[in-house]
Amino acid sequence: MARFCIERALELGASAIRVSLNKNVTDSATVFNGQLDKVTHSSDRSIFLYLFVDGKYGTFSTNRLERADLDAFLIKAIDTTRLLESDPCRSLPQKARTVQDAVTGFEAGLFDKAYFEEDVDSRIAKALRLSKYEKLMASPSKDWSLISEECEWSDSVDDTILLDSQGLEARHTETSAGCFCEMNVSDKEGNKYSGYWWDSSWSADKVDLEECAEKALKKVLKQFSPKRSRGGKYKMVVDTSVASRLLTPVINALNASSVQQKMSFLEDSLGKKLFPANLTIMDMGREAGKLGARLYDSEGVAVRNAPIIENGVVKQYFTNTYLAAKTGFEPTVEDVSRPCVKAFVQTGESSGNIELQDILKLCGSGVYVTGFNGGNSNPVTGDFSFGVEGFRFKNGKITHPVKEMLITGNLIELWNNLIAAGSDARACTRWQIPSLAFSDVCFSA
Amino acid sequence: MKDNSYYLNIFGMDIPTLDTIVATALRNGGDYCDLYFENTVYFNLMLKDGAVTSGGCHTDYGVGIRVLKGEKTGYAYSETTALADILAAAKAASAIALGASSSLAYCSTPDVRHDLYPDVEDWRQADARAILTFLQTLEKEVSSKDSRIVKVIARASDSESDVMMYNSMHEARFDSRPMGSVTVSAVFQDGDKSETRTASRSFRKGFEMLDTQLIEELANEVVKGIDARFEARRPKGGRMSVVMGAGASGILLHEAMGHAFEADFNRKGQSIFADKMGRRICPEGIDIVDDGTVAYNRGSGNYDDEGVPAQKTYMVRDGILTSYLHDRVSAAWYGVPSTGNGRRESFRYNPIPRMRATYMESGKADPGAIVASVKKGIYVDEFSNGQVKIGEGDFTFFVKSGYLIENGHLTMPVKDVNIIGNGPEALADIRAVGNDMKIDNGTWTCGKEQSVPVTCGIPTVLVGSLIVGGE
Repeated sequence: MARFCIERALELGASAIRVSLNKNVTDSATVFNGQLDKVTHSSDRSIFLYLFVDGKYGTFSTNRLERADLDAFLIKAIDTTRLLESDPCRSLPQKARTVQDAVTGFEAGLFDKAYFEEDVDSRIAKALRLSKYEKLMASPSKDWSLISEECEWSDSVDDTILLDSQGLEARHTETSAGCFCEMNVSDKEGNKYSGYWWDSSWSADKVDLEECAEKALKKVLKQFSPKRSRGGKYKMVVDTSVASRLLTPVINALNASSVQQKMSFLEDSLGKKLFPANLTIMDMGREAGKLGARLYDSEGVAVRNAPIIENGVVKQYFTNTYLAAKTGFEPTVEDVSRPCVKAFVQTGESSGNIELQDILKLCGSGVYVTGFNGGNSNPVTGDFSFGVEGFRFKNGKITHPVKEMLITGNLIELWNNLIAAGSDARACTRWQIPSLAFSDVCFSA
Repeated sequence: MKDNSYYLNIFGMDIPTLDTIVATALRNGGDYCDLYFENTVYFNLMLKDGAVTSGGCHTDYGVGIRVLKGEKTGYAYSETTALADILAAAKAASAIALGASSSLAYCSTPDVRHDLYPDVEDWRQADARAILTFLQTLEKEVSSKDSRIVKVIARASDSESDVMMYNSMHEARFDSRPMGSVTVSAVFQDGDKSETRTASRSFRKGFEMLDTQLIEELANEVVKGIDARFEARRPKGGRMSVVMGAGASGILLHEAMGHAFEADFNRKGQSIFADKMGRRICPEGIDIVDDGTVAYNRGSGNYDDEGVPAQKTYMVRDGILTSYLHDRVSAAWYGVPSTGNGRRESFRYNPIPRMRATYMESGKADPGAIVASVKKGIYVDEFSNGQVKIGEGDFTFFVKSGYLIENGHLTMPVKDVNIIGNGPEALADIRAVGNDMKIDNGTWTCGKEQSVPVTCGIPTVLVGSLIVGGE
C-alpha cells in the first residue's frame, strides 16, 4: 500500500514523498466499585502522506484504504499541494541521516509477543484484580468512607511503517499495558479527597497490579486536613511523578520551531552555560527495552543518544530537516525521545542511589510538591506561575498537607537553583525525571 | 437540509441492515444499543513567515457501536462499513452484557428538528485558493496594525461531518455539521522585550464566514491591549477581590463549575455537587446555562451524539442547583430525560456528558459600577490553562492579562499570575453580576477524556475573595 502511494505520487508529478502507515489496537476494561463497568475495543489504521510537489509541501491522511479511494485521495492531495506557495526549505532528510537498522520493528525492544495471548476475559480478570472495593467495604474505617473506586486495565499494540521515495524503509512495533486506579474518599466532616496511582510497561507481566489500589488510597488519605501555609521563599522538593511539569517548558523552548518563531526563552542559548554545572540531561532514545526508546523520528532520521544539556551547557536544539534549512542550525531529530536527568546532590555527583528521603533530609525543611494544579509559563520570557499541592516538611520529615499554594518565578532562575536530582525516576515513564530539589522558590498562599 | 437517503447512501446502509446490526449487538441481553456513523473531511492551511506553505486534508470514516446493560458500557468501532466488519465490532461491544444482571429503562426521545446552521456553504465545495487569499489578507491586515509585529502565524481549518445515528428504539437521526476556525498569532518585539497575542474565531458556519469583517475583527483583537501587555508586571500576591471581564473569563465557569455539573461525576458521587441538587449554591438572581441551541455556535448541534435533540439546560436557576448535564446513561439512572449532553470526539469514542455553550446569564449591575465598587483587587481580561479537581472543587487559573484594581480604578496591567480558589466557595461568594453577558467565540476545545468543541461566556462578575499568586 505504501509502495503503491509512492509510485502513484511520483507518477502524478510529486518530486518526493514520505508515507507512514499506522495501525493500533487498544483494549480496555474498567471496573467501578468492584463491578465491571466498561469494555472497549478499538482498532485504528491510517495512512499519512507527506508530499513534495513543485517545491511545495502538503500533509494528508485518511483511513479509507481501499485502492480506489486511495487513488482518488492521492490525486486530490497532489492538486491541493500545488495550490500552496512554494517553500525551498522543504525536502526529505539526507539519506545518510535516516535510519538503517529499524528493519523488523522489534529493535527498540518494546514488543511483547505475549500480548496476543490476551483476550476479553483475561483483561476483565485483570481489571477485577485491581479492585479492592469489596475488601475496603467489608472493613470500613472510622475516619473515612470510600465514595468510589475506579480501576482500569488497558493494553495496546502499535505498528508503524515509514517509507520514502529515497528508499527509506523503517518499522517500529510496540506493545503497551497499564493499570490505573482512582479513589474518592470523604473524611468524617464530609470533605472529599481524590487520588490515583498507575503503572505501565511494554509488557503486561511487568505491570504491578497488586499494589495499585493500595497506593492510590494511601495517596488520598495523606491529604486529609490540609492547612493553608504562609507564603514566602522555601526549598521545594518536587516528586518524580510530577517533576516533568518543570522540564516540559524547557524542552519546548529548545525546539527549533519555537526558536525560529521567537517563542522561546532559550533563543541564542546553543553552546552557552545557562544552567548549573551539575545539571546534565541526556536524550537516551537508543536504550532498547526502556519506555520511550525508538530508532527513528517521524522523518525517519536515526535517533542517537545525545546530551540536551551537559554540565549546564545547552547542547542541542531539536531541529528537523525543514527547520535546519530555515535556520541554519545543525539538523538533529525532530523532538525529544527519552530525556533522562542525571542524579546529583549539590556537593557533587553521587555514586549511590538518591531517593526521595535523601533529598528531603538534604533540604531540611520546605515544601514537598506532589501535584501541579493549573498555571502556565510564558514561552518568551520563561516566567511561570503554577498551582501546587503537597506537604510541608521539617527536619527531613513530612509534617502536614498544604492547600491553595502557588509558585512563581522564572524557569532559568528556578533551574539555576537546582540543588539535587534523585535517581528515583519510575521505569514506567518515557521521561526519566527524578525527584528534584530547588532552593529559594517563591510560594504564595 | 439533506434527505435521509443521502446519509444512508454515504454509509451504504438501509434500515433492515441497521436492525440486523442492532440485533447482533444485543444478542447477549443488552438493554440498549446505538450506532454512530461518521464521515468527516478536514482541511487546513497555515501561513507562516509570510507564505502559506503548509496545509493538508484528512478523512475519517467509520461507525461506533455501543451496548448498554444497566449503566455498564460495551464499545467498539469499525473503520469500514462492510457488514462483516461492523458485525464483528457489534459482537465485541455485546460482551458487556454477558452475565450482567442489572438493568435500566432507556427511553425514546421525541424528535425535534432544529436547523441551527442554516444556509451554510459546504466547505467541501470551497475553493482552496480563496482560503489561501483570505490568510494572506489577514496577515497583511494584522501586520499593518502595529510596527512592533515581527511574526504572524495564521491558520484556517474547516471540517464537514456527515453523521447518521440509529438505536435499538428504531430512532434514526441525521445531521451534517460544518465547522470553520481561524486563528492568528502575532509576536511583538519592543527593544529586548517580546510578547505574543492570539485571536481566534470558530463557528458552525461554512465558507461564507471568511469575510472582510472577520479579518478586521481578528486583526483588531490580536493587537488589542498590547501596550498594557508590555507594561504588565506581576502584582504582589494575596487574597483579594476578583472581577472577571465579560466573555472569555467564562472558561473559569466551564472548568471550575461546569464539569462538576456533568452527571457522570455526580452519578458516581465524585462531584462536589453530588448531594446538592435542589439546594442553593450561589446568591439569588444567578442563572447558569449550558446551551446547545445557539445558532452557528461551535458547541451547538442539531442533535447531540446520542441522537437527542438540542436543548438549553438551566443548571442553576436563581441560585438553586436545578439540573445536571445528562447523557442517556445518567438520565436513565436518575430517571429524568436526557438534556442532550451526550457528546463524543468521533465514532472512536463512546458518548459521555459534555458541555456545549456554557454561560452565566446577564444580571443587572453596570460593569463600570462593579469595578468602581472594588477597593483592592484584580480585573481579569483573559484566563488560560485552568485546572480543577472535580471532587474537591479546587481550581487554579492562569491570568494571561488583566489589571490591578485600586480604589475603584483599573491601574497597573498585570500578567503571568495564577488565581486559586474553590468552585462552590467562589460561586457562593459572587457579589455582583453585570448586564453584559458575552459568549466568546474562540476555538475552545474541552478535553475531558476526549476533545469536543465548546464555547463559554460570562457577564462581568465580581467574586469577593480569591487567592492571587504574585511576587
